[in-house]
Amino acid sequence: MKLVRDVLDKKLTDREDCAMGRVSGLVLHVGEKTQPRITHILIGGPTLWMRVHPSLAALATRLARVWGPKRTGPVRIPWSRVDTVGKNVKLDVIARETGALDWELWIAEHIIERIPGGGKEEEE
Amino acid sequence: MHLKRLLVATLLFALACKSPTPEEELDSIISWIGTAVMAGDAWIRHTTPDAYTRQTLELSHDTLLQLADDLLKQPLPGVDTASLDSVLTRSRGRVAEMARLVQDKNSPAFNNQLDSLRIDEKAVKHMADALSPKQ
Amino acid sequence: MKKILQLALGIVTSVGGFLEIGSVTTAAQAGASFGYKLLWAILLGTICLIFLVEMSGRLSAVSKHTIVDATRERFGFPFFSIVMLAMVIVAFLVLVAELGGIGLSLQILTGIGFPWWALPVSLGVWLLMWKGTFSLIENGASLLGLVTISFVVAAVKLHPDWGSTAHGLLPTMPGDQKAKYGFIAVSILGASISPYLMYFYSSGAIEDKWDESYIPMNRIIAGLGMTFGGFLSMAVLIAAALAFQPRGIDIEKFEQAALLMTTALPKWGFFLFAFSMLFACLGAALEISLAIAYFFAQGFGWSWSEDLTPSRDSRFSFVYTLIILLAAIPLLFGVDPIKVTMMSMALTAATLPLAIVPFLFLMNDPIYLGKHRNGWISNTVVTVVIVISFVLAVISIPLQIIGG
Repeated sequence: MKLVRDVLDKKLTDREDCAMGRVSGLVLHVGEKTQPRITHILIGGPTLWMRVHPSLAALATRLARVWGPKRTGPVRIPWSRVDTVGKNVKLDVIARETGALDWELWIAEHIIERIPGGGKEEEE
Repeated sequence: MHLKRLLVATLLFALACKSPTPEEELDSIISWIGTAVMAGDAWIRHTTPDAYTRQTLELSHDTLLQLADDLLKQPLPGVDTASLDSVLTRSRGRVAEMARLVQDKNSPAFNNQLDSLRIDEKAVKHMADALSPKQ
Repeated sequence: MKKILQLALGIVTSVGGFLEIGSVTTAAQAGASFGYKLLWAILLGTICLIFLVEMSGRLSAVSKHTIVDATRERFGFPFFSIVMLAMVIVAFLVLVAELGGIGLSLQILTGIGFPWWALPVSLGVWLLMWKGTFSLIENGASLLGLVTISFVVAAVKLHPDWGSTAHGLLPTMPGDQKAKYGFIAVSILGASISPYLMYFYSSGAIEDKWDESYIPMNRIIAGLGMTFGGFLSMAVLIAAALAFQPRGIDIEKFEQAALLMTTALPKWGFFLFAFSMLFACLGAALEISLAIAYFFAQGFGWSWSEDLTPSRDSRFSFVYTLIILLAAIPLLFGVDPIKVTMMSMALTAATLPLAIVPFLFLMNDPIYLGKHRNGWISNTVVTVVIVISFVLAVISIPLQIIGG
């Protein structure tokens, strides 16, 4: 598997095919006598902006402290939860439980559902 | 050293930002008189709303005023400046009057002004030809 | 049967959705200032657009990726972020122009100035996005846009010299006003080859669940739809050449353009123009808002679909809500939509390489397209037009700014 081509920036879906974002980064464990292996997938947060410029990562962290679900770091998913790597990376998780949808849920609750027709009343 | 470069750049930029030439100004004036005539034609034939016609005529008048002010400050070789000023003032007056007549829905008086404006339009075109004879 | 209906609808919506304030303003200015001499720019832009739209549909049908999906995955986030920044900024300016176009249409119909219409128009566009489905937006606005066929009727009724118009399909240099000629040519190319159209079309192919069996239909929709659309732009130019050029009228303001069809169609010409612009700009505003929201959602891997209730794809909904609101602000302060239009069209042409070069790489990548990769004709046509657009833009934009 080629990590950059097949994994990095790929779309992530959960057990129920719910969109979870994209692979922003990967955590590799490099042992002294063992082959490097992936331990975690990182989603969102400053990891993504760090790839463009560190100052953007710092800005993203500062903004995340004052607005939104107050998550300042990326979501970390253990590599053991990866089901398949194909068109998307399918994970054996429930998206809501991982924190990957924190922003989605926060915006839904604090902004979208407060606007008439936003959807909460239809679901209720 | 940096200040010197900045000054040179500013000077070059200022030289580059030239004003429109008298020919270009006159072309714009012809364009806006033409607009007023065309808008007037359309209104007389009852094909455009009153509000639109009045606003277009007012816009034409205001634009013509600005253009005439800019034009008459420049040298105009081959053109009698006093005559040009006179016909431009007259045509602006007609356009303003036409805007007022739209409000009054006075078609016959409007038509008279429109006919006179067409004559002014021809006169301005004639003077534009004198300034820059077309090949 | 279903595919035939979809095909018919696809062509019709391509025609109805082709014109917007950019293509009408640039064509009207071209006709008024230079007669038929800039017809070649519309022809060139349309040919390039046919290829680009066909490629967009093919990419989505075969790879099941939108252009944005594939760009992020293939080139990585750092490069993608540059493309996104440029495309979103330019698309935003075009959105301001389109909302302004709706406002100006309402201004000439009612006499109420366009800044007063900024908020109601934005609210109306937003409501259609909020409550509407993809089909309603794609088909509804475009079907209303068919009123723009009146431009063809007007052009024909003015009895153009078809020999001279054919001559205009070949590039010629004007005697004077070369900077202005170049700038309008660039703006026409920018108005015709709008990247947001590609992003919207490829997202639509995914929303409509296209697969490889849709490739032939995609070719016909792109080919016929865009060709007929190009004819509409040419009709505007021809009508302007006959209505305005003999009178020496240069199009600087929307109020002047509104007189385009009053000679050819005396009774209804003014109103047909106003409603044509209203529906054309409405359709374009909806498409651009969606295209920008798609860019963010697809780029960052969020849920996105115009068919979901807003809370089910809250970030996607939030983006289009925010940008529609922000786009109203310049109009509230009376910024002239026509000036925004001309500048945004020229900027579109200047930034085309940033959108098209990565796209060409994708269209030649066997991982995404397999045996449906581009042939040399597609690659050549698109590359040549993009180079022409970029070179013209780099030369003309500074000259036009300097020349005022």
